[in-house]
Parts: sequence; C-alpha cells; structure tokens
Amino acid sequence: MSSLPVIAAVGCTKIASEHRDCNARDLLADALLDMLADAGMAGLDAVEHGLASYESDHFNMQMTMGAILHDSIGMMPKPGLRVEGGGATGALALRTAWAHIQSGLCDSILVYGVEKNGRGLSSRTANQLFALSADVDWETAIGGTYTGFYAAMMRAHMAKYGTREEQFAHVAARNRGNAAFNPIAQRPMDISIDDVLRSCPVAEPYKLLDCSLLSDGAACILLASEAWARAHVPAYQSRPAVYFTGTGCGTDTMRLGDRYPHITNFRAKQQAAQAAYAMAGIRDPLRELDVAEVYDSYSGVEIQAVEDLGWVAQGAGGQAVAAGAFDLDGALPVNPSGGLLGRGAPVGATGILQALEIAQQLWGVADARRQVNNAKRGLTDTHAGIASISVVNIFERRD
Amino acid sequence: MSDKVSSLIDITERDESVDDMWGGFRQIERIRLELSQRYYYSLGRQSRFFIELANQRFFASACDGCEKVYAPPRPLCPACLRPCDWRELSGEGSLETWSALYFSPGTNADVAALEPPYVLAYALLDGADTLFPHLLRAEAASLQRGMRLRVAYNEGPVSHPIHLMYFAPA
Repeated sequence: MSSLPVIAAVGCTKIASEHRDCNARDLLADALLDMLADAGMAGLDAVEHGLASYESDHFNMQMTMGAILHDSIGMMPKPGLRVEGGGATGALALRTAWAHIQSGLCDSILVYGVEKNGRGLSSRTANQLFALSADVDWETAIGGTYTGFYAAMMRAHMAKYGTREEQFAHVAARNRGNAAFNPIAQRPMDISIDDVLRSCPVAEPYKLLDCSLLSDGAACILLASEAWARAHVPAYQSRPAVYFTGTGCGTDTMRLGDRYPHITNFRAKQQAAQAAYAMAGIRDPLRELDVAEVYDSYSGVEIQAVEDLGWVAQGAGGQAVAAGAFDLDGALPVNPSGGLLGRGAPVGATGILQALEIAQQLWGVADARRQVNNAKRGLTDTHAGIASISVVNIFERRD
Repeated sequence: MSDKVSSLIDITERDESVDDMWGGFRQIERIRLELSQRYYYSLGRQSRFFIELANQRFFASACDGCEKVYAPPRPLCPACLRPCDWRELSGEGSLETWSALYFSPGTNADVAALEPPYVLAYALLDGADTLFPHLLRAEAASLQRGMRLRVAYNEGPVSHPIHLMYFAPA
C-alpha cells in the first residue's frame, strides 16, 4: 500500500513579532482556513490523521497542547500525535507524516505547526526558557546562549577557512531583501552589508542583524497519497503534483565541545542530506536542485549549511555566498522566502513554512519577484540546537 | 500553579478597518500570569565533578575501552556503553574557540551578575579529548586561539556549583 506522499494543500498566517489578538488556537484556525481555501475543501471530514508540531510547552504555559489543538479544529475521534525536535520540529513533523503515508497507516495527514515565541513573555523569561534548550548542567548554568554557541562555532570556521564577517553579512542582507517579496514575511528590510556590520554586537562575531527573529505564526500542510489527493482535494487537479521524494535525518552531540575537533560544521546535516539525496535519487545536488530553504538561524549558519549540504567544498561557503551563488539570480536560489532572518521563525511552524515556500515555488505561484523560473526540485534544511538534530526534506514537481 | 492572582493588563480592540471574518471577536484581553518553579535537582552520576570543585580539584572521566577522556565527564562512555572511571586533570589547557557575549540570559544569580561583554570559552584541557565550556575572565580583545588557560576556583557561595570554577589566562 506504500505510496509516495504529495503536498495536497498548504496554508499559513502572516508571521509577526506578535499576534496580540491570537493565542495558539486562533493562529491554527487562521492557518487552517487559509489551507482549506488553498485546497478548495469545505472541511476536514475526509482527512484521516492529525499531527501537531510545536516546540515549547513553556511559552504557552500549557502542556499537552497537541490535544487541545487537535480538539480545536474538530479532528476528534481521529488519531493524532505531537512531534517535537527543537528547531527541527516542523521538518521532523513532516518526516513523521511522510512515514505515516508511506507505511499505509493512513492516506492523508494534516501537519499543523504553531508557535507563540514573540512578545507574549518578558524578554528575560524568554531568554531563560530558550537557555533551557541547551544542556542545563554544563551550558545553561554557566550563562551560555545559543547565539554564543553558534558564534564560537563561526569563529572556529573563520579561523580554519578564512571566512569573513562581510560574507555572512551578505546572507543577512540578502534574506531580508528577499522577504520584501513575500507577503507573509515578518521583517523585510532593504539593508546593505555595511548596515549588518555596523549593527550592535550580540555574541562576537554575530551582530544584531546576523540573528534571526522570534515570531508568532502558524502553518499547515496536508500530506496525502496521490490517489487520496485526487479524490478529495479539488485544487489538486489544477496544479502540478508536488511529491515528497526524500527525507533524511542526522544527529550530533548536544554540546559543541564534545564534537572536537569537528567544530566548524554540522555533521548531522551532512548525514541528513546524504540520506535525503539517496532517497530522492539526487547525485549532483547543486545541479539537480532548483530552489532551497536553508536554516539561517544566524547568517553564518547558511554558509556552513551550503557546505554540509554538499553544494560547495568544506570551507568554500563564504566565498560562494559572497559571489552571489545562492542569491535569487544565482546558481541555486536559497531562502527566497526570506528565511528565518526575514520571513521569521515560529519554531514549530518553521519547517512547515519552509516546505510551504518550496511547494509554492514548485507550483509556480510565488510572487513573481521571488519565483524561481520553472523550479522542479526543492529542498528544506532544518535543525535543532547547533544541529543536534538535523532534517533535510526534498520535494519534486512531476507534471 | 500560580502563586499570584492573574491581573488584567489591558483590553484592546482589533483594528476595525480590517474587514475580516472575526468582526465579532474584536475585544482582546491580556492578563499577567506568574509561574515560578523550584526543583530539587539531582546532578546524578556527574555529582563528583561538582563536589570536587569545592576541593579545588578538576575531574574528567575516562573510558577503559576506547581510552577517550571526557571533560565534562560522562558516567557512561557513549561509544563503548560501559561505565567510565574518574580521572583528575591538572586544569591547564588551551583556548580553542570563544565568543564575547553582550547579553546575559540571567540563568542564575552568578550569570545575572556578569557584566557584558563576558567571554564564553571552549578549552582543550591537557589530557582531555573534548572541549570544556566555561566563562573566561579576560578581556575579549586579548584572546588568541591556542593561548594557555587554567581552571581557577572560588570559594562561593554560588548559585550553581559549576560557578565554583572559571577559566583564567595561565
């Protein structure tokens, strides 16, 4: 009964620093109604399974929120579950949904991600809660922060390969510029590399504009077997089929220091990419991919990622990025949505928003100013922590 | 759950110029909630590391099977899945990488007392195979990869026993 899943429909809210007028349930409602409009469906009666994707119990002051979300959109008594994997949550949720379809456990599954990470907590409380996602015994207790861990990694990358601040500033400026062409983006900005370099230091070498955003938002993707989508989703026939052709996952130690001497790059991402490429039948990813959403939690992370995803040699990412290889008019456009830096990053929804962007790119319905011409294959790269969990998902249009 | 009563912060109106389907839901109430948590938290089999810091001694753990030395210590060698042995190190080592942090997360009282920018350092301690993360009390501008460091100790009291130590230039 195994069947390669297709993306049957997508929907989301606008991504914002705060949706003051919405709690998590309200955000999900808006994303779901957007998805039903996209699908041309009147409701969820035919959908067989739910899958909730959110990171933090603390931010919502609510445990078992998955059950509440499932309830709020009337999915009872159908099966449901919650998936959590830090920053990779949304991508891991899609990977889990892929397995549900492939195994024959169901023919349709609604993956819904939501997060209220914006201004619903004092910044002091938010910082303390985020610090709990590092190793509390050894990293959190000393005052370590993820910005600091990423920064120490980037310093090692700079020392080993000569990567420069203006190279990762290129990513910060470009992704925020791309966000201007994305109506759901949180923080489009028209800024220069100098603006990034002059922004205030946060954790050297990272400055304010090198850092991604805290966001409120929600996104939904309906994954289904091809036959189910044809039978139940009116919009499915009117656009090219987008298949979910590959998924890979890799892991690494929680603490950066335990990876010594390999502290410049993401081993988990290399593993995830190779697994996803093998599954999707991709041998030469730089040539065979047309568009990608890369996890730019910090600007330099995109440089490390283009190396670990196998698009350039280890250490060559800075030069390739600065030369424009991953700009909208480059060899492989990366983060046309604006990425985490420009579109925003409601954690549990982030991986789903990345896949939503790829689906719209492959359908050819993105804003013309960010639409990649005739895109046929797209990739999402999403990770948790400093890539203690990494997930790569691949989607392909088949006309 | 909450040791205070919730308190009303404000009631606002959604923008009436937005003509959406939620016209009947324009009033939004926002309240303040407090949740404080106290843990009686076991440091488990890592405990001896923290206990010995009070004696100004620095312990790693070593695996008999693969001979890897873990600092921070791991009770279980993840490669061999067998218990490690404690191994005392000199506490001297070299700076591998670092970052100067301009915002403190205020995780505990010792962290909240740090004056930014403070330095998060990763040191390769002599005899260890992993990097140990801790605060380095030195001017960020003076740091160089490979420079010699040492574990320094203080008497406390501290908010978390990891703060019985820090790194200092050797």
